Amino acid sequence: MKKYDQKSWISDRDLSNDETLLKEMNSERSTESISSLLEDDLSIEINTNRRDFLKLLGFGISAATLASCETPIKKAIPYTLATDEIVPGIANYYASSFINGGDYCPIIVKTREGRPIKIEGNALSSITRGGTSARAQASVLSLYDISRLKNASKLSTDKSDKISWSDLDNEIANGLNANSKIRIVSSTIMSPTSKKALKEFTIKFPNTKHIMYDAVSSAALLQATQNCFGVRGIPDYKFELAETIVSFNADFLGTWVSPIEYASQYVKGRVVDAEHPKMSRHFQFESQMSLTGSNADHRILVKPSEQGNAIVALYNLVASKLGAPSLSNMEINEKAKAALSKVAEALLNTKGKSLVICGNNSLEQQTLVFGINQMLGNIGSTVSLNRLSNQRQGNEIEVNALINEMNSSQVDALIIWNANPCYDLCNAMQFQDAMSKVKLRISLNTILDETSSNCTHSAPDHHNLESWGDAEPKTGLYSLIQPTINPIFETRQAEHSFLVWSKSAMLNATAEQPYYEFLKSSWKEKFGSANTNFQAFWDKSLHDGILETSNNTNSNIAFNGNCAEAASKLKSSNSTGLEIMFTENVGIGAGQYANNPWLQEIPDPVTRCSWGNYVSIPISFDGDRRFVSFENINEDGTLAQLTVNGNAQKFGAVKQFGLMSGTLSIPLGYGRTSAGVCGTNVGTNVFPYLKADANGYTQYYIDGAELKNLNEGIEKAFACVQHHHTLGVTAIEKSSGKKINADEAALIDDAFKPLTKGYQGSLTDRTILRHSNLSELKEHVESLKEERKEAQKLNSNSLYPGYDYNYNSGHHWGMHIDMNSCIGCSACAVACVSENNVPVVGKREVSRHHEMTWLRIDRYYYGDVENPNVVYQPMMCQHCNNAPCENVCPVNATNHSSDGLNQMVYNRCVGTRYCANNCPYKVRRFNWYDYTESDLFPGNSRMMAGEKDKPYYAENLVRMVLNPDVTVRSRGVIEKCSFCIQRIQEGKLNAKKESRTLRPNEIKSACQTACPTGAITFGDMNNKESNLSKKLKNPLNYIVLEEIGVKSVVNYTMKVNNRDESIEA
Amino acid sequence: MYGNRLFKIGFLTILSTCLLAAAPDIEQGKTSFKNNCASCHNKNMKDKLTGPALGGSVERWSSFPKSDLYKWVRNSQGLVAAGHPRATELWGQFKPTVMTSFPNLSEDEIESIFLYVDGVFKGTYGPKIDNAVVSANETTGSSGISTIWIYVAFAILLSLAMFLWNVMSDLSYTRKLSHGEPDAKRDSIWEKLTSKGVISLVLFGLILFGGYTTVNNAISLGRQQNYSPEQPIKFSHALHAGLHKIDCNYCHDGARRSKQSVIPGASTCMNCHTAIKKGSQYGTAELTKIFTSIGFNPNTGTYIDNYENLEQNVIDTIYKKWIQDNYKEINKVTEINEDAQAEINLEWSDIVNSMTGPNKPKIQGSIEWIRIHNLPDHVYFNHSQHVTIGKVACQKCHGNIEDMKVVRQYAPLSMGWCINCHRETDVKFKENAYYESYKTYHEELKKGERSSVKVADIGGLECQKCHY
Repeated sequence: MKKYDQKSWISDRDLSNDETLLKEMNSERSTESISSLLEDDLSIEINTNRRDFLKLLGFGISAATLASCETPIKKAIPYTLATDEIVPGIANYYASSFINGGDYCPIIVKTREGRPIKIEGNALSSITRGGTSARAQASVLSLYDISRLKNASKLSTDKSDKISWSDLDNEIANGLNANSKIRIVSSTIMSPTSKKALKEFTIKFPNTKHIMYDAVSSAALLQATQNCFGVRGIPDYKFELAETIVSFNADFLGTWVSPIEYASQYVKGRVVDAEHPKMSRHFQFESQMSLTGSNADHRILVKPSEQGNAIVALYNLVASKLGAPSLSNMEINEKAKAALSKVAEALLNTKGKSLVICGNNSLEQQTLVFGINQMLGNIGSTVSLNRLSNQRQGNEIEVNALINEMNSSQVDALIIWNANPCYDLCNAMQFQDAMSKVKLRISLNTILDETSSNCTHSAPDHHNLESWGDAEPKTGLYSLIQPTINPIFETRQAEHSFLVWSKSAMLNATAEQPYYEFLKSSWKEKFGSANTNFQAFWDKSLHDGILETSNNTNSNIAFNGNCAEAASKLKSSNSTGLEIMFTENVGIGAGQYANNPWLQEIPDPVTRCSWGNYVSIPISFDGDRRFVSFENINEDGTLAQLTVNGNAQKFGAVKQFGLMSGTLSIPLGYGRTSAGVCGTNVGTNVFPYLKADANGYTQYYIDGAELKNLNEGIEKAFACVQHHHTLGVTAIEKSSGKKINADEAALIDDAFKPLTKGYQGSLTDRTILRHSNLSELKEHVESLKEERKEAQKLNSNSLYPGYDYNYNSGHHWGMHIDMNSCIGCSACAVACVSENNVPVVGKREVSRHHEMTWLRIDRYYYGDVENPNVVYQPMMCQHCNNAPCENVCPVNATNHSSDGLNQMVYNRCVGTRYCANNCPYKVRRFNWYDYTESDLFPGNSRMMAGEKDKPYYAENLVRMVLNPDVTVRSRGVIEKCSFCIQRIQEGKLNAKKESRTLRPNEIKSACQTACPTGAITFGDMNNKESNLSKKLKNPLNYIVLEEIGVKSVVNYTMKVNNRDESIEA
Repeated sequence: MYGNRLFKIGFLTILSTCLLAAAPDIEQGKTSFKNNCASCHNKNMKDKLTGPALGGSVERWSSFPKSDLYKWVRNSQGLVAAGHPRATELWGQFKPTVMTSFPNLSEDEIESIFLYVDGVFKGTYGPKIDNAVVSANETTGSSGISTIWIYVAFAILLSLAMFLWNVMSDLSYTRKLSHGEPDAKRDSIWEKLTSKGVISLVLFGLILFGGYTTVNNAISLGRQQNYSPEQPIKFSHALHAGLHKIDCNYCHDGARRSKQSVIPGASTCMNCHTAIKKGSQYGTAELTKIFTSIGFNPNTGTYIDNYENLEQNVIDTIYKKWIQDNYKEINKVTEINEDAQAEINLEWSDIVNSMTGPNKPKIQGSIEWIRIHNLPDHVYFNHSQHVTIGKVACQKCHGNIEDMKVVRQYAPLSMGWCINCHRETDVKFKENAYYESYKTYHEELKKGERSSVKVADIGGLECQKCHY
């Protein structure tokens, strides 16, 4: 297999010089014909003649005149009771926690005039260290979700009747008696106080059972931990101590258990110091390319059914070296077999400082992985059992038992709390059927989802940001939730409902906030003895948002796992047909976030598809210049028919590098039938495909699938952003006269090299990505230095000699992005959307290249053409000092500030889009529609997803999320990253008010604060004390497209991997 | 324009020299008028306000001894009670409004006030020009001598042009005659005026003028200088900020620390108005509105429990009683007859009308003021930046707010107006340690190459200072 050095590509189509792709990449707009674009714009009359035009013009002018003649009366409405706490115009920050099932992030909530508008990470937490995730960032939008249930109601098949809370409580009280068999089904509950409330309920109704399950389950891991160590919980993995990390299908950077925590630890071992190069080595065993796998040094391809075999093989290799008893070996593919011995070697070389983890929901595999860690002496070091994680507690086996109970009509009442078993179980349909046999079915869910609509009563819970609460994500580490807004609707906190229904003596029903009293008293019970001044302790805990108690649990836990038994139970794989791996998306998860358009629109980091799930298909390289894709599906989005056990379903197919041949992968969480305005009917539901193993644990893969190209072309509105806004360059091939992609052609074929070399340091060597292997770092740093010197020499000739680009007085803002820290998790992209009022546009618009994100994360492949390595490159406005966009604007709507910012002035912009055309980084976005309904005249907007009356952002409720310090753009103007100018101005203002200079790292951009790994650093380049100035000295730094002389101020570091070149990809 | 100013200054100098001889001082009169009289008497001295127009009052009192006028000013009700004919006449016109007594005003002070009143009434006393107003006047009103000179020059040039034209047409006529052309004739005035040249010149002029006015007016579309809507409560800044000298920041407490200056909540009003329950000008008519907003029962001096959920008829009873009691007290009656009841009902329905609206069915809750200063949404303006850091006086942008009974928008709030100030204003460069990072400017200041740093020098003209 051919390997290419310093070369990168984004898809197979550019490697093979696909002509339509070239056209697409060079066009700012989509290449669809105008009539097909207008097809769904029924309001637009295409055959407008001159007279109509004049009529419209006349109307327009007179309407505009009339509209501006009369001064509209605007009201200024003050508070009746002015509070000292809220000063209009000044943000308040409250510490709280983002908790949804097993997802956890301690947060700081920014509120303006009493409404939350932005989520920041809480840096005091030792778990997340100030990082956030895309889901935590987007949670503020779900507060203003128009689909939320607004009051208690009584439900029947097709209608819901509003009832008062007291009526609901009465009906429930009448429906229950002390002997009622009650089942509560919820997702993971991390809160000790919630559990206490449930206990109160159980005391009143002793026949109650609480069942937790997770849509993407870790039940086998929990059971394995219990079997091996006698404690239940997820072990405390310490990625920062691990020099060798081996992950069997665990997407620990994206979705597995506690990704923010793991990511912040993981990058500690991945950031390279050029002087003392040292890195951890990361092997990932998987079939599909997960976010974690894309960050690994080596991805070792095994089929999902081979995972167990690979674990046994690794166990045996390690055991044989350490003289431990071996297990019976099983079949595994040749390439993986060869790699496994190297993996074992690496593990043995770093005994006690290595880590093996497994994301598969198999008791046997988890036991064996603990066995490997035990042999390597990792238990107690990288696998600690002191602070067990409570972030996954679900056990789907109990749900199976519940289905049987319900089917035999043994259950009197079913209470659903933040769970959607009618959708996200492998046996969801059975659950739904069984559920109908229960008389009293109460849902506490916040929207009318698949499960709620099958209930008899709806008692909607508050949103997280309206609630009181606590959590214990890891043993002894506590986190508090405090409300940041008054409940918007007539909802009631779930725990409060439980306390009411149990008529608990601990509920002070007359209190203003009864659950707050309950929470406080239960904290007093727990911590009151150790803290004599409880009020001061409580105030401090609430202020900090977290409480970390000292760790005094037993650290000597003996390993009792039976690996031989586990291995014997593992069945040898005899899979037939294609295997499909079902994955969880970093955005919408297993469907619980499907109704959040910010998360729907953020593309999957690897496939770069949004608004839907697609089946990924493998491709192979013919060794020459051709890629052969499965079933001859040459174009992404091609409709294909997937058949499993005779059930056929239509999917769009996308080609995926690094996908094991004979396997496919499809994300879970789509195809919801009742998920509110944005989430309903997006993609296809694949939960019904899932099956349980012999132990009853849900397996996230199946075999025996067939896929057939339907030859029906590509899916309508296929929303993949992969080829939008790329940095490609074309050239004419002399011999054929054909347009080709100059860069990528040169990568493949030496024949193209003479053509593309020699201009401005050769186009083909344009500095987009620079990467190196750790072992060759020195040489690569040297050549980077040479290259940069050459580029700077080329740029030394200026049209304005003597002009000072260095801004030696005042500030000069700049940015540094460490691509070794960036894992592609998209938290920054969502944070940017949230901070800057960036509109979401919906599937159709994304398919037309109209996505508005200011910050995109480009994904590039390099290395092996079939199983490549990946680089993520966050790309936003580079604030060039010699900006090409500024020169071409006819109205000077984009220009430069004295502190080095490329300013975009919406009120000046007339929408020529010359700037977007001239931007070499393709970071400028045009408002093709009035997405946020900010125009004087309505009707320029369009529906984003399934809205009925008004576009999503036209709803006053949704608009509450807008940042009041950032202009809401109207149709027809360009916008782009402003380096969070509103934060810069605020920081400067605060310094001036206090009559002091700006502190070195005082101003942080929204993407920077969101990042869980600290990959982004913003700051003042003129301040030598700033973190930015220090990072700018890194010899790995380079500037994207430095040779074209635009003088960008964003520095990237060279991506370094720690591949062992002796292992074949 | 320069001449205009010179003229005014000269005039003022002469005027003040004359006045120095006399003990009563017109300037002092102005101050006393502002402090004591302006809240009830119209500043133009010609129109009635709460009290009568003061212009010409000295003449009207001239048939009585001067001391009667002094007595009237110091204690008008005393003079009414004594049956003074002029006093009774005035009381008949203005009752029940009682003129505030000013027992502490000296004769000199009263004389000064009337000197000022007379000056303004007869137009001999021009408004004093202070520096803040000069620039505004220069840009807005530019009539006076200079303009007249332009007209005169224009007329001279026009007649010169007509004369030359006449000479030319005469010459051409003579030339034609001398060449013996048969149809040679003089053009009549009419023919001259309807010639192609004149018509096209006039058309050109009209287009030019039309274009100029269109553009000018189009630019100012949506601007609301001098916008002065009627507010739900007749709140007078002249009374609060002018007469009582309440600091602007007391009520607008956001101005020093936030983007918004903040319109005070009713609770801020109540800091004083729990004690002052009747207004000096409108009695119960305006202050009751605040009470209805926040739920203060002026009869008992307490706040009403669970006020938000109270029925309208309960609220009616509470406040009508208050108005009624007050009516009895003023009119010194014990029974309410039909007319009085009608008057009370009218007052109450006015209160209800101004405190409710299409979007606010209930009387309870926030007062819906009409916003006067409206910036477009794409403009970021921060009060604290200007008030706390720039130390700009409120009056610079809001005018002499302490004289305004009804607030009007003083500044045009146009971008040109903002930018101009940014060009002219010095940054507090040495006082504020923030600016230390601008090393080059500090060096230049030290070397004497630069006398000051303007806002424009540190990016005050850059787009993203205000637009983002």
